[in-house]
Amino acid sequence: MDFLSKFKDDFVLNFVTDNRWKWLLDGLGNTLIITFFSLLLGLAIGIVIAIIRSTYDKNWEEYKKKGGIFYAFWWVINAISNLYLTVIRGTPVVVQLLIAYFIIFASSRNSIAVAIFAFGLNSGAYVAEIIRGGIMSIDNGQFEAGRSLGFNYVQTMIYIIIPQVFKSILPTLCNEFIVLIKETSIAGYVGIVDLTKAGERIRGVTFSAFMPLIAVALVYLVVVLILTQLVKILERRLRKNER
Amino acid sequence: MNGNQNIIIETKALKKHYKGHKIKALDGVDLTVAKGEVVVIIGPSGSGKSTYLRSLNLLEMPTEGSIIFNGVDITDKHININQHRQKMGMVFQHFNLFPHMTVLNNLTAAPMKLLKKSKEEAEAQAMNLLTRVGLEDRADAYPAMLSGGQKQRIAIIRALAMQPDVMLFDEPTSALDPEMVGEVLDLMKELAHAGMTMIVVTHEMGFAREVADRVIFMADGLIVEEGAPEEFFNNPKSPRLQQFLQKVL
Repeated sequence: MDFLSKFKDDFVLNFVTDNRWKWLLDGLGNTLIITFFSLLLGLAIGIVIAIIRSTYDKNWEEYKKKGGIFYAFWWVINAISNLYLTVIRGTPVVVQLLIAYFIIFASSRNSIAVAIFAFGLNSGAYVAEIIRGGIMSIDNGQFEAGRSLGFNYVQTMIYIIIPQVFKSILPTLCNEFIVLIKETSIAGYVGIVDLTKAGERIRGVTFSAFMPLIAVALVYLVVVLILTQLVKILERRLRKNER
Repeated sequence: MNGNQNIIIETKALKKHYKGHKIKALDGVDLTVAKGEVVVIIGPSGSGKSTYLRSLNLLEMPTEGSIIFNGVDITDKHININQHRQKMGMVFQHFNLFPHMTVLNNLTAAPMKLLKKSKEEAEAQAMNLLTRVGLEDRADAYPAMLSGGQKQRIAIIRALAMQPDVMLFDEPTSALDPEMVGEVLDLMKELAHAGMTMIVVTHEMGFAREVADRVIFMADGLIVEEGAPEEFFNNPKSPRLQQFLQKVL
């Protein structure tokens, strides 16, 4: 009895008093906004970088033969892509977030937009490599079929290769998105009240750690479970063209 | 002006060698193909026949020599190869249908994106082609649901949907179960009779004998012998060809 009533008091103190559950809700809102938009940004960057890198890898000999501006152009954007991957994957995401907030966008007070930029840029590097792996796993005959019909390399990528790639990399991509959701928990570093920070705020007021932190953990878990389920449904639908 | 108007593809001293290999895959192939002609290329494996066919639309980059297609040297680095490829249909050994698209979309993708045909127009044409090969009821199927023979027939009409001037066949029946070879060869025969210019790499000697205007025997990256099928099969001159025919016939 004693334990139960203590549990109840704790619960009321942490979530009901002052409507503190709303803090968590608002925090979750920010977490979801940041995750969603950085996911889109990361996906866009990832596709572009993956296409650049695999185009260059597959065609550089041919491009070199053509020579001139054309080859120089591809050489440069491929080099930029490689530099981007090296820097992003070689430094911690917290540091990247801090650099974005305090150096690159030092004059901006829209910390959510800055966080979306930082997380999107970070995620893009990992997504790019996932997609590139997917592109390399597609049978060369698919490229040849596309090219023989008269599609140029980029058209072949967009209409023929990338749609197939997405099917095969969906589980890995889903994994990256799960990582991204949880990674946004460092947004508190730049003053954003996301889900984690909201839990911390409650803890700061109530001086009890158990309830808010476990609640935060559970909310993340539920969000990830929902996402996993959505991806499962998507996978099943994409699989309809197999026997 | 003269007979040149009738020439559709001409290769001059076409050579291809892969880096680090001593032997040339192609060692100077000269060939002229006229409009409406059916040329069948045969030869032992490693003879360069597939490499030659695939270099005609530059899926393989020749190292030396030139390919004149419709009067234009397509090995020139300043030309846009994509435009010329639209006029050269290609059929592969492994079909290479797009697995994520329905049969109908496989047939309409290139005409819509490249020839800017409307959806209605492209689909009407696709249905026509499907009816021609008796597969109109499979329009909404995905490639994985089709038999090998059906896949290859779809692959052939996918190339035809671009209204090419020449069709290149790279061992189109080699990956098929024996009972499905006939349906694909029948379609190819029909195409030949309709006047399509065709260059076919194959092991189907019956097809070569029956349909070809000219049969070409390649070995070691060179054309060793060529001629009308009758003479070619009944009275082969070079010992290489005699040996080869003894093994395969």
